[in-house]
Amino acid sequence: MKIDITYPRPRRRGVFGSHWRLIAAWACVAAALACGVVNLCVGGPAWSAVAAMGLYTAWTLGLSPAMVECNRISQFIKLVVCACVLLALIDALLAPGWSLEVIPLVCSGALGVSLVLFFTDLERQKQNMGSLLLLMFVCMAGSLAGFPMWRESGGWALPAMGLAGAAALATCAAALRRDFLRELKRRFHTE
Amino acid sequence: MKEKTKQPFDIYRQGLTEDERQRLADFFVALDLHCRLPGRQARGMREDFKRAICHYAETSVPLDEALARLDAERLGGFYARPPVLWFPLDDAAKIYPISMKRNRMAVFRLSAYLDRDVVPELLQMALTFTIKRFPSFATTLKQGFFWHYLDSAKRRFRIERETDMPCRPLKVSRSGSQSFRVLYEKNRISAEFFHVLTDGVGGMTFLKALTAEYLRLEGVCARRDETLWNVEDTPCAEEFANEFARVPHSARASGFAQKAAVQMSGRLARRRPCRILHFKMDASRLKAVAGTYGATVGAYMLALMFVAGRAATDEQEGEAAIQVPVDMRKFHPSRTVRNFALYCGIRLPLQAAAGVEAVVEEIARQLEQKASREAMEEMLTSANRLVRRLRYVPLAIKQPVARRIYDLLGDRAFSNTFSNLGVVRMPEGYAAHIRDMDFVLGGAATNRAACAMVTFGNTATFSVTKMTADPSFEEALYRLLCADGIAVRVEGSECCED
Repeated sequence: MKIDITYPRPRRRGVFGSHWRLIAAWACVAAALACGVVNLCVGGPAWSAVAAMGLYTAWTLGLSPAMVECNRISQFIKLVVCACVLLALIDALLAPGWSLEVIPLVCSGALGVSLVLFFTDLERQKQNMGSLLLLMFVCMAGSLAGFPMWRESGGWALPAMGLAGAAALATCAAALRRDFLRELKRRFHTE
Repeated sequence: MKEKTKQPFDIYRQGLTEDERQRLADFFVALDLHCRLPGRQARGMREDFKRAICHYAETSVPLDEALARLDAERLGGFYARPPVLWFPLDDAAKIYPISMKRNRMAVFRLSAYLDRDVVPELLQMALTFTIKRFPSFATTLKQGFFWHYLDSAKRRFRIERETDMPCRPLKVSRSGSQSFRVLYEKNRISAEFFHVLTDGVGGMTFLKALTAEYLRLEGVCARRDETLWNVEDTPCAEEFANEFARVPHSARASGFAQKAAVQMSGRLARRRPCRILHFKMDASRLKAVAGTYGATVGAYMLALMFVAGRAATDEQEGEAAIQVPVDMRKFHPSRTVRNFALYCGIRLPLQAAAGVEAVVEEIARQLEQKASREAMEEMLTSANRLVRRLRYVPLAIKQPVARRIYDLLGDRAFSNTFSNLGVVRMPEGYAAHIRDMDFVLGGAATNRAACAMVTFGNTATFSVTKMTADPSFEEALYRLLCADGIAVRVEGSECCED
């Protein structure tokens, strides 16, 4: 069977080819397991869980970014979510007693930064509102869920986070008007 | 880089008369009115027009004629209006973004071979003019809370020169990323689509419109007919409707689960597809040979695939199965360019595939039964029920589950795929400049080959997408075709084994 070659010669790939991600994934898993084993052998608080979360953060942000909607707002919010989980883990496992104040502050600050990222390139970022919307809703829902705790402790960070979420939502709605409703319809459609 | 692209146009402009320069300036004023894209995109489009004008000048096309062919009014309001349209994914498309991986994406390719080499400057303009007729293609994939969707993207859609294997995954993650690509190589124009956008029929509608527009820009004047969409027409909702939702549901629903089929032998290549082969045949001869077996061309080719598949496996027992996509438009006529196809599976015991004559009758029987309207409507009802049940489950839960299920089952229920687009027609004036066409399926997870066929003019092109370097399947197929007296010209890519 004689074959006439009518396609360009395929590009050659490096030694690792398309497998570098797989190699990196296994390296991360191995490192996390090693941390767990060392932690078990040495004893003490479960710092390996924090290390594993750190590895996951590096993996999800740097080595394997999202395949759909990987933009500056979504990446930043992903970073904030990972940071909050890390803070919660550190609070729960290593140094307790401060995360209920710090995490809401981090989220409120993140909302502010996200809004700056959003409004400084509005035409393009209008289509990248998904993560921002979720962060706003999570901030408001988190604030409501933490209301009983706030009544006990009297801290201001949780209500501030809820207010920041509501203010961000109102700002986006006022700036985008009909586009905002259209965006909500798209993001939450069930068709 | 900027200087290089600007220079020839400036030199050309300096050589024009005052009157011609004024006409050229008026042309660009009109272009600016029709193109309100953001800075870089608008500049890119202006450069495209300049390059096309330079090409016309080099080929001695008078300026007036060049400006008439490139008339900015043909852009309509597409590039002047902000993007507002969005499209929920159709029922068949919903699975593709959920199950895709970085190296596994449902991409297919359609190509047209012209009687002359492609001029990239004109192909770029043809794409600029054509895309506005296909608003559901001028989109970018987005992630909702429950489902993905397509969001309208107004940008300069770019053509690319072919530099790699066909059907590589598309990068759809960036803001405004396109879910299709248009490529050129010598006399071939190819369009590759992520399946979320369209199926083979919709893709072919686009390729035909693009090729006709390209030929118009080349100066070919031909009368259009109903086989070709006019890029000047205004798109209507019916053309991008999710037809799955409109079809009345059947009382019965069939399942999707099927037992694992025998796979061809041969180590799966790291890069898939690793080779593309086109078997180009005389269509009337092929039809006549199929007729001697009392079968349609589709059933005959399936029979060849079963027999060749048996020659390409070391397995001795089990069932071989070929997935056959079925165009639902033949049961429910529709103009939609979104996905509107389902599939059926033709299954045979491996040992039965001893020769074409031995299996062709059974294949024809199964095709008639399994690709019937009733069977397809049962499957459509199942698909619709599944989508309805999952609609309130957040994507963050659906996606990992679907991906795991796909990893476990994958395409193991089938040994191979055979997608037949049938006979493609174009108006006479355009068809005279098109030699033939081909249709290539993308890589598979477990299957060692995937086949597709399209007939244009008197050339039937049967394309094999290979996932293994083992040549047993295509060699057996070639022998069988030759044994039946069909002359085959084989074209394709080199085998990529890295």
